[in-house]
Amino acid sequence: MMGLPLAFLNPWLLLALAGLPALYFLLRLVPPRPHSVDFPPLRLLLDVVPKEETAARTPWWLVALRLGLAAFVILALAAPVLNPTPAGTAGTGPTVILIDDGWPAAGDWEARRQAAEAAIAAAESAGRPVALIGLNDETQDIAVGTGGAARDRLNALVPQPFIRDRLVHIPALRQLAGRTPGLDLVWLAGGLDLGNARPFAEALAALGHDSRLTVHMPERTARGLAGADNTSDALTTRVLRAEGGPGESGIVRAYDLRGRPLGDAAFAFGPSATEAEARIELPIELRNEVARLEIADGRTAAGVQLLDERWRRRAVGVVSGATADTAQPLLSPVYYLTRALEPFADVRPAQAGNASEAVLRFIDDGVPVIALADVGTITPEARARIRQWIAKGGVLIRFAGSRLAAAEDDDLVPVRLRRGGRVLGGALAWSTPQRLGEFPAASPFAGLRVPEEVTVTRQVLAEPDPELGNRTWAMLADGTPLVTAAREKAGLLVLFHVTADTVWSNLPISGLFVDMLRRTVALAGEATPSEAEGAATGEGAASATRTANEPAVLAPTRTLDGFGAFRSPPPTARPVPATGIPAATPEHPPGVYGPPDGFIAVNTLAPDAELRRLDLSGLAANVRGYATVEPTPLAPWLLAAALAAFLLDTLIVILMSGRLAAVRRRAAAAALALFAVLAAPHEVRAQSDQAMMDAALRTRLAYVVTGDPGIDEISLAGLRGLGFQLAARTAFEPGDPVGIDPARDEMAFYPLIYWPVADNAPAPSAEALARIDTYMKRGGTILFDTRDALYSSGSSPGGSPALRRILAGLDIPELEQVPANHVLTKSFYLLPDFPGRFRGGPLWVEALPTAEEQESGDAALVRPGDGVSPILITSNDFAGAWAVDAGGRTLLPTVPSEPRQREMAYRAGINIVMYALTGNYKADQVHIPALLERLGQ
Amino acid sequence: MVSARTLSLEEAAPGPRHSATALSLSDAMPRLVVAARRTSASIVHGLHGRRRPGTGENFWQYRRYSPGESAARIDWRRSALGEHLYVREQEWEAAHTVWIWVDRSRSMFFRSDLAREAKIERAVVLALALADILVRGGERVGLIGLGAPTASRRAVDVLAERLASAGIDDDMPPAHPLSQLSEAVLIGDFLEPEAEIAAYVRGLGANGARGHVIAVSDPAEETFPFSGRTEFIDPELATRFTFGRAQDLRDEYGVRLRAHREALRLIAAPLGWSTALHRTDRPASEALLALYAQLAERPNEVRSERLTA
Repeated sequence: MMGLPLAFLNPWLLLALAGLPALYFLLRLVPPRPHSVDFPPLRLLLDVVPKEETAARTPWWLVALRLGLAAFVILALAAPVLNPTPAGTAGTGPTVILIDDGWPAAGDWEARRQAAEAAIAAAESAGRPVALIGLNDETQDIAVGTGGAARDRLNALVPQPFIRDRLVHIPALRQLAGRTPGLDLVWLAGGLDLGNARPFAEALAALGHDSRLTVHMPERTARGLAGADNTSDALTTRVLRAEGGPGESGIVRAYDLRGRPLGDAAFAFGPSATEAEARIELPIELRNEVARLEIADGRTAAGVQLLDERWRRRAVGVVSGATADTAQPLLSPVYYLTRALEPFADVRPAQAGNASEAVLRFIDDGVPVIALADVGTITPEARARIRQWIAKGGVLIRFAGSRLAAAEDDDLVPVRLRRGGRVLGGALAWSTPQRLGEFPAASPFAGLRVPEEVTVTRQVLAEPDPELGNRTWAMLADGTPLVTAAREKAGLLVLFHVTADTVWSNLPISGLFVDMLRRTVALAGEATPSEAEGAATGEGAASATRTANEPAVLAPTRTLDGFGAFRSPPPTARPVPATGIPAATPEHPPGVYGPPDGFIAVNTLAPDAELRRLDLSGLAANVRGYATVEPTPLAPWLLAAALAAFLLDTLIVILMSGRLAAVRRRAAAAALALFAVLAAPHEVRAQSDQAMMDAALRTRLAYVVTGDPGIDEISLAGLRGLGFQLAARTAFEPGDPVGIDPARDEMAFYPLIYWPVADNAPAPSAEALARIDTYMKRGGTILFDTRDALYSSGSSPGGSPALRRILAGLDIPELEQVPANHVLTKSFYLLPDFPGRFRGGPLWVEALPTAEEQESGDAALVRPGDGVSPILITSNDFAGAWAVDAGGRTLLPTVPSEPRQREMAYRAGINIVMYALTGNYKADQVHIPALLERLGQ
Repeated sequence: MVSARTLSLEEAAPGPRHSATALSLSDAMPRLVVAARRTSASIVHGLHGRRRPGTGENFWQYRRYSPGESAARIDWRRSALGEHLYVREQEWEAAHTVWIWVDRSRSMFFRSDLAREAKIERAVVLALALADILVRGGERVGLIGLGAPTASRRAVDVLAERLASAGIDDDMPPAHPLSQLSEAVLIGDFLEPEAEIAAYVRGLGANGARGHVIAVSDPAEETFPFSGRTEFIDPELATRFTFGRAQDLRDEYGVRLRAHREALRLIAAPLGWSTALHRTDRPASEALLALYAQLAERPNEVRSERLTA
């Protein structure tokens, strides 16, 4: 009983458990009374019964129940007690209380305080001296004193937002143990394996000098947030926990700079998962305002994630000079730009047709970055607006191209360009395609790796200029500029001397392109500070140089305490480099560093952090939880269980003897219903997967389940009968028919769906209508059968009110009665009409384009679904005529009741199926007379 | 688990309520006939022309008068047109006789929880409803072993009375052949040994009569929903049998039952008789419609072979 805090007051009574096996054999031999039923086909049953009957035995579960009953009684008599009162500690030396006061302890700090109080009180009552050490404190000599002093120290402790290396305290503890042997060490652990926790525990356990170690471990350790990421559609963050226990869910909340909640998102740990993801889905503008993410009931520093400028997503407007881009999207520069910008920015496509208008609209919308792909001419007014916009901090990224190269007096470029550009490589040139050169040190691209495979075949050239060197961000191996930029007031104007698509170079399909755009777009944020410094020409390059030479540091503004609340920074906090650090340290506590408009955030956990529970196995330590528990006698519960088992056994005996039949039936029905409710979602899902597999692997006819069992059975039998006929007469051997519900089931697998329309059929739901519409638009055919040819006049297809209800929400094409030369009349048999159980109801199909329409080209050239009508409407009750039972006998008489009509009904069905499967294949024969005539000439 | 028992004669004996059920059931059918009449007259049952001279309403042929015949038969109007004497002959018309047999053995009084009613009740309802339809169509209907056929409009009441007074009969009736122009409709559970059934059915069909065998079956007999320690009692033979784990028998019993049904089909098929299975948890109209279709149209032989292949 090492693991479970359980003890028996009368352990000798447990010996009676040895008698259980004997009881087993006794119980097994006394069978219950048989259940007696009348059964007329007993003669058939006797034919299959094995001659010798096995001895009747009590079912094993009943035996198990009775054995369990006996075991419960025996265990109850042995008087077990949960959490027995521990024997008092009998040490003589001082009690040393070690408290983890890092962020993992913040969540249940009150429980820790109480445990420490209890330990202090216990030591006081035993008259032993007490020492209390906060493990995040600086190392110092251990002052052993009275309980009062320890209490004062305890009250002064608050959780810190970091964890120091605990091993620094070991030497002092060794000294103390050497001075006063018999130490009682009580470690109130945070529970996470951080700050050398395991080596510290090992060192404590091996302290020697008769010292004993007690470790209090929390059941549930703190949760943490790490790795926030502002992706294209949501703000995501990892939620971490240390225990892979059962599933658990919670809420992550997002706040802006002033602490106003902006939104929240639920996260859920799967069973035994230690990581979950929270997705906060907000509009991009709101997401950019988020400054702080927090687990709703976390109360630790790790449960807070601070966000700064680096998590903002900027909107980038993309405008292309080419007009008809949509026809070949993969060749459009917009496509390459969008793909390269998407990982870190919000790409907005141009709304207006004209490039100038599109740019002006972006400026009105306040888009900070605009990319122009090969836009040649911009109207003078637009140019003036753009200049103003750049001066206020906008970033304009331009790409060269044939239009830009040909444009006259385009001064919206960072350097003067030679018109026409140059071609490297090709049939008429000596030179070969150029590679990229190293990036200049002052360039924002400095430090990016230059891939070997990127080559440039065409570019626009810059006129030589004294400023050219300063303004060049990237150049080719021969020194000609590839990317130039000029800072104009607060904004930036960048020109890529190649196109944004792959015509001039393969740069746009390299990873370097993404990195270059990322750094360029990131500069948009710096616009405001540099304006404050007083921007001048060439300022960008100069400031970049300064940043590269002397790394800027940012002083702490506000930091987090252990509970995750902001406070003014402690005196020990030091500035961090402007590039940020991945995770907080004791010198750099988590918090916000730098001025309010350009701060950076430092978080408790690194983006890739993982939490692990402290493993104390194999150590000579007494491990306890925090909650104090009372001894609980278990005997009453065991006796209650025995009584319940006894009642259950009685009930089973009564049921098995065949009495109380009605009670049993009702109970069984209730249990079955309950089970069905519980099992339903899972089963339905599994069935639907299986149904999809079945449907996809074999061509099947399908019918819509109306809910009226009579109609549905006839539909099933009808399609089965038609299937027999198809298999016998044609090359198509359909699988078993399937009943489907358009609101739930996937219909795409079935070429033809038979839909019997009941008089009281309700209108399908909006969702079902959408699916039916999709099915019909994508080439499926639905055969509606109103089954009322005897009563309706048949002059209009929507005669039945039920059918009108169903079709009201659908996009139905113009219909006509099947014309004499329609494919349906010759797709397998030559048929004049389409009878079912009744004769005389017309079959309606989508109207074919008339000859005039074909002549004038008004009709769509290619009809979807190979010209097969998406809808067929009849009133002849096809399924009734086709219906056969499993043995192939017909189920319903036709009207008039003659074999010929049933035969014609089958032929109509075969024609319809062939029409749905082969489309206009047979329609081609309408051209045969014309072809023959031409051959004759 | 399903419980099942055999009803007593008093509980399930044919009576007025069955007649009423049968009439309401058959009331649904004439609509079909009426509807059919609107499209074509050929559906009309009843007096079928036999394509030979005899007694009837319709003209068949003129025949030369042969000496010795009664002078009253001479058609003087026709004879006056020529030199010979002619006799006017009518087409022989005869009504179909449909013989119905309802199994009244004790096993038919069986009903399980899964069924709506006992097998005998369902069989009686089917028989009476069929009789009503046929009589309305002009056919004559009789119960095998229970008196002469009748074409009376009150046939349902007459037949129900006869059934009610007949009581339980565990045996198959004596197999005396029916005439060629008759049709037999046998409604029972057909759980007897196959040889007995074969002798009876072959006896009835010896002269070439058509027939239909409808096996009425309780769902409990089909699905064998028993499990655990169960004692089975045969109501006819009064034999008992106890088995420890009834669920173990389910599959083998299913195979045996299918073999029995197949044997039944093989008995009926060579005579050109149809067989059908009707479960008492299904509506009676289903069996009646199928039977109606079988009686009304003689399926194309070639097609029926294909269907069963």
